[in-house]
Amino acid sequence: MIEVTDVTRVYQMGLVEVRALRGIRCAIEDGEFVGIMGPSGSGKSTLLHILGLLDEPTAGTVAINGIDVGTLNDLEKSEFRLNKLGYVFQDYALVPELSVQENVVLPAMARGIPPDQYRKESEKILHQVGLGHRIHHRQYELSGGEQQRVAIARALINQPQILFADEPCANLDSTTSKTILNLFRELNEKNGQTIIMVTHEDWHEEYMCRVLYMKDGLIEGEKACKMRNSEKIPV
Amino acid sequence: MSGHNFSVSFFLAIRSIQRGNRFTFLLTVAIMGLVFVNLVFLPSIISGVVVNFNSQSIDYNFGNLVIEPRENQLFITDVSKVKQKIEQIPGVTGTSPRFSAGATYNYKGNQISGQIVGLNPRYEQEVTLIHTKLKEGDFLAEGDTDSILLGTQLAGNIDERLDKQDSLGGVSTGDSVVVLFNNGVRRTMKVKGILETGSFGVDRNGFISLKEMNAIYGISDTATSLLIKLSQNGEEEQYKKALMEYGISEKIQTFQEKGQGFVNDAIRSFEIINAISTMVSLVIAIVVIFIVIFINTINKRRQIGILKAIGINKKIIIDSYIIQVLIIATCGILLGVLLSFGLVAYLTYQPLVFPGGAVYPVIEAGPVIRSIISLALVSLISGFIPSWQTANEPILDAIRGK
Repeated sequence: MIEVTDVTRVYQMGLVEVRALRGIRCAIEDGEFVGIMGPSGSGKSTLLHILGLLDEPTAGTVAINGIDVGTLNDLEKSEFRLNKLGYVFQDYALVPELSVQENVVLPAMARGIPPDQYRKESEKILHQVGLGHRIHHRQYELSGGEQQRVAIARALINQPQILFADEPCANLDSTTSKTILNLFRELNEKNGQTIIMVTHEDWHEEYMCRVLYMKDGLIEGEKACKMRNSEKIPV
Repeated sequence: MSGHNFSVSFFLAIRSIQRGNRFTFLLTVAIMGLVFVNLVFLPSIISGVVVNFNSQSIDYNFGNLVIEPRENQLFITDVSKVKQKIEQIPGVTGTSPRFSAGATYNYKGNQISGQIVGLNPRYEQEVTLIHTKLKEGDFLAEGDTDSILLGTQLAGNIDERLDKQDSLGGVSTGDSVVVLFNNGVRRTMKVKGILETGSFGVDRNGFISLKEMNAIYGISDTATSLLIKLSQNGEEEQYKKALMEYGISEKIQTFQEKGQGFVNDAIRSFEIINAISTMVSLVIAIVVIFIVIFINTINKRRQIGILKAIGINKKIIIDSYIIQVLIIATCGILLGVLLSFGLVAYLTYQPLVFPGGAVYPVIEAGPVIRSIISLALVSLISGFIPSWQTANEPILDAIRGK
């Protein structure tokens, strides 16, 4: 469970102070697929980065499973991200020198998982995301959707408690976006994977179980999901 | 570093080299290779000059040690006794008494002042190698009278443009030269051979038998110097002490001490040039290698940010860059070693000609080890600083390339 208490984030841009978050308070339960939506500049990515330990709040606390992550040092945060969190970025963020499988196994290698085990696990996940036939390919040989699925597989290799996705479909066409969103939904429903996803496409709402609406650095409202437990949405 | 952390660093480093920008890799390796050559080449030439100077001094000028008259004395008397005494010392393989005096040579109107050396041809062959360096004619024999060997620079050439300095104008074997000794004796001597050793101290002199020299000066069993050859080079100081212990009371000098002056000054100057060149090379190496690796690392800021974001700790990231630069440095050093040996092979085949003769580059372990350590250190610093800087940036700044 994630508990966010009075989180503010102020950026200094030259002489101007930008208040990206103005006192966020929310809670996300285990197993939820939560969307964060809102117009540009509303603070949704900032919130996601703070929840994902990629950034630090100016004030307030974030507790994940009861741990106040603000008290962790650099190395502990790194370990926490490696062991408990997974990330999917808008532009895939793969390591171009690595093959599909190598990209996926990298976090598992860093955890010290034995090679046999991480290879087997990566093959399983890559099959799950529909890339079983592409494991030895390189990034430049893949389409945008395929690259994003590699990023998802990489995020899942260490079986994270929470999967963060920052506009994962921003660079994808609607068909590919649906494939990715169906994959997220499947992970959430079948495996109980907690997913927190930033998006500004209204039609993505139907894949989520709850949506937090943000405006001017505050959560303006929230909406329960429409399609929870429904059939897979056709691509 | 734990085992799996190292294996991740190593894995990332290897993949980056295997699949990264080939041009950057080859450029960096080539720069390192050339810097290595630059660091090793000049010292190898200086070593070559030293080796050349030493071997010429031993083989043609002085042997390993030279005994000279005591202070305030002009000659070594009872040379045969001294010689006998010295030859008892184990490790001494030969001794050769010499008698040097000033003389003026005349040939077809050309007059050159210089030195004339009286030597015992048999003993001399046990100590020096001048008998192997005849450009023409034959070496002296013990009973030779009115025969002289001339150094090639003294004999000179008919075409004076070929002479390095004033000469007798092209004396050949069989010609006669008039020698005026510094005691006033004048002799016409037949040239038995022309010596060409490459050593100025030999090629500028005339040589006659010691027997004849003694006769000219009306003395016997007397020398102005006694040359000593040892079974092994490099033990001169030890033998100098041993000779004193054996009761040799004359002045004893090693070939290095005898040769002090012009060559040593040249070597000292060379060493200063070398030190400056090494410093400049290293600074250039540091700057160039640092810039290339820095730009390469900075270009990967975003990737470093992403690696940190997915939980790869910064030590793994920094180590992967250090491993990369060490691999690049190893390749650069290997290339440098190959290029250096190629250059040495070429210059051994086509040696550089210095005033003291042909100089062959000599690569010694010292400069090579120094260069390897310097390049490895430079690479480490160049790899560590930018990767450390980037790995310590806030993750989002690195990802956004701010």
